[in-house]
Amino acid sequence: MVMEPQQTKIKKILIANRGEIAVRVIRACRELGIATVAVYSDADRTSLHVRYADEAVHIGGNSPRESYLRMENIIAAAKKTGTDAIHPGYGFLSEQEDFAQAVADEGMIFIGPSPDAIYRMGDKQMARETVKKAGVPVIPGTEPGLRDDEIYAAAEHIGFPVMVKAAAGGGGKGMRGVYAAEELPNLLAIARREAESAFGDGRVYLEKMIEGARHIEFQILADMHGNTIHLGERECSIQRRHQKLVEESPSPFMDDDLRRRMGEMAIRAAQSVNYVNAGTIECLVDKDKNFYFLEMNTRLQVEHPVTELVTGVDLVKEQIRIARGRRMGLTESVLEPKGWAIECRINAEDPYNNFLPSVGTISTLLVPTGPGVRVDSGVYSGYTITPHYDSMIAKLICWGDDRGEAILRMRRALEEFTIMGLKHNIPFHQNLLSSFSFIAGRFDNKFVEERFSMTTYEQSPSESELETAAIAATLFAHRNRQLAGQVVNRNERDTSNWKWLSRWERVHK
Amino acid sequence: MKYVTYINEKKFEIEIQNDGTLLVNGVQRDVDFLTLDESLFSVLMNNKSYEIVIDETDGQYDVLIQGRLYTGQVLDERAQLLASRRGGLGVESGELSIKSPMPGLIVAIPVSEGQEVKKGQTVIVLESMKMQNELKAPRDGVVQRISVTVGATVEQKKLLITLT
Repeated sequence: MVMEPQQTKIKKILIANRGEIAVRVIRACRELGIATVAVYSDADRTSLHVRYADEAVHIGGNSPRESYLRMENIIAAAKKTGTDAIHPGYGFLSEQEDFAQAVADEGMIFIGPSPDAIYRMGDKQMARETVKKAGVPVIPGTEPGLRDDEIYAAAEHIGFPVMVKAAAGGGGKGMRGVYAAEELPNLLAIARREAESAFGDGRVYLEKMIEGARHIEFQILADMHGNTIHLGERECSIQRRHQKLVEESPSPFMDDDLRRRMGEMAIRAAQSVNYVNAGTIECLVDKDKNFYFLEMNTRLQVEHPVTELVTGVDLVKEQIRIARGRRMGLTESVLEPKGWAIECRINAEDPYNNFLPSVGTISTLLVPTGPGVRVDSGVYSGYTITPHYDSMIAKLICWGDDRGEAILRMRRALEEFTIMGLKHNIPFHQNLLSSFSFIAGRFDNKFVEERFSMTTYEQSPSESELETAAIAATLFAHRNRQLAGQVVNRNERDTSNWKWLSRWERVHK
Repeated sequence: MKYVTYINEKKFEIEIQNDGTLLVNGVQRDVDFLTLDESLFSVLMNNKSYEIVIDETDGQYDVLIQGRLYTGQVLDERAQLLASRRGGLGVESGELSIKSPMPGLIVAIPVSEGQEVKKGQTVIVLESMKMQNELKAPRDGVVQRISVTVGATVEQKKLLITLT
């Protein structure tokens, strides 16, 4: 017998985050009639989330350590403004159990899972053991710290190819793919040396290499009344350096049977830590549709909008509803998504120059609109992208009746999206969405790094397109030159020049 | 007024006469060029409608037409004269400065002064936005001067390396 949880009133929410996700949460609060408190660093005084919130509190310097990661400053801001609940967004403090605990200790509601669930899913080895007990498949592998002879035996047992990974891990150092038994002694020694020199720790472990794997994740929702459901999958295989670039729901790789089996697995994994609120089970799926648990993200994901568009569920409002102790809106898992949704992450990165990040002021911003188009962003024309935070400018999400319509709509929206003043990756998305592999749904999580090129599908501009650009640039330069030559009296400059110019424009058609 | 305009390295000779007539390589073009704001323009040419965004930074023109970015320079008569005295336009010859595209920390300088470098070779590794970014030589050349040291924090547009 489950005790009926106490329902709690939430009248004011502090969003312990910045940028687009803070704006996203504020929007949900507005719709629910809940007051909002933004927090901001020095550089973020100009950010959109500060402008949208009902109240805003300065919490420190530009480095996240001085502001968005400073628990005591955020808790102090919450107390000062009489906040009832804190939404952590993603990143920053969202997956730190001591923050969730500190919020609870102050008598406020943390909009997310319990500190215990965050802790048990946060330690990757513990998470693996926990879900394994619940019958969830994990990538076959060993524990760290085995001797060489033990590793040889384990590799035979797991079956080649295998990955040798450094226990202290990170950045690909001490990591080697081994395809046959005779390669193992040599590659193991190399991996140990690399790990020793990079981390001062030569311990390694083995993991089965999943070739041609896709990254597919399931959205989980669970309330305090014992209901745990999933809202279908998200396909996130389009990544570069483990950074997701494009996500879609459903996955072109999915079938009804696989969705049912993976969905049940995801629910079991969440239940194994008594999970409450929104969470995501990340998996690798191989060519033969075998799937393996990777990790659970105990928070809202960047790519949550694609799930919202194909299920009709507002995940942030649902998170708040669950945190209030109410029953969730849906009590059954979503087995048939409505239509198709794709998200492109628009980043300040130059796809023609090895995705070099770009900083600067957005001089022109024209945001696509029209049927089936959603843009979540935290920027505006005149906003300056600084080097203090990540390079995401906006998320462009398009919905279509089927995958084909979603792709065509995304291509149309990308063409409308105008961002000037810094380099961005819209050309990457345009090329990706024109590539046969993407259109056919044939890709894995190495596709962008190993088999995609910016030049394959890009056609060189025609003579007349170049001429149009040349004429436009020249008229622009000519106009500025004429304007500069006109300056007589600073105060009269704007109006007189405008009149002169519009006359020129009208006369010289 | 006569201009020489380069777009994606292609050369156009464009003349705007006093009565507003526009000639491209000597051929007349009818253009309706409407200013919507500082950098946004509606252009009609042969009944074709284009929405065009133009940005200019340090003589470099970025022209965005239907989701496609073109880059180039517009030279008036004086600028053409200066360019011809310098021995041509472009990056194929003369001194070339590699500047920091963003504020960051210099983590490695894998080249030394006097060294020959190939186009695309990494000359600086700059850490910024939590990432290590490799800055590459835009053409073949010789490293003439290195103006920073490893461990230095640099501002945007700081001169890093000069190639000849």
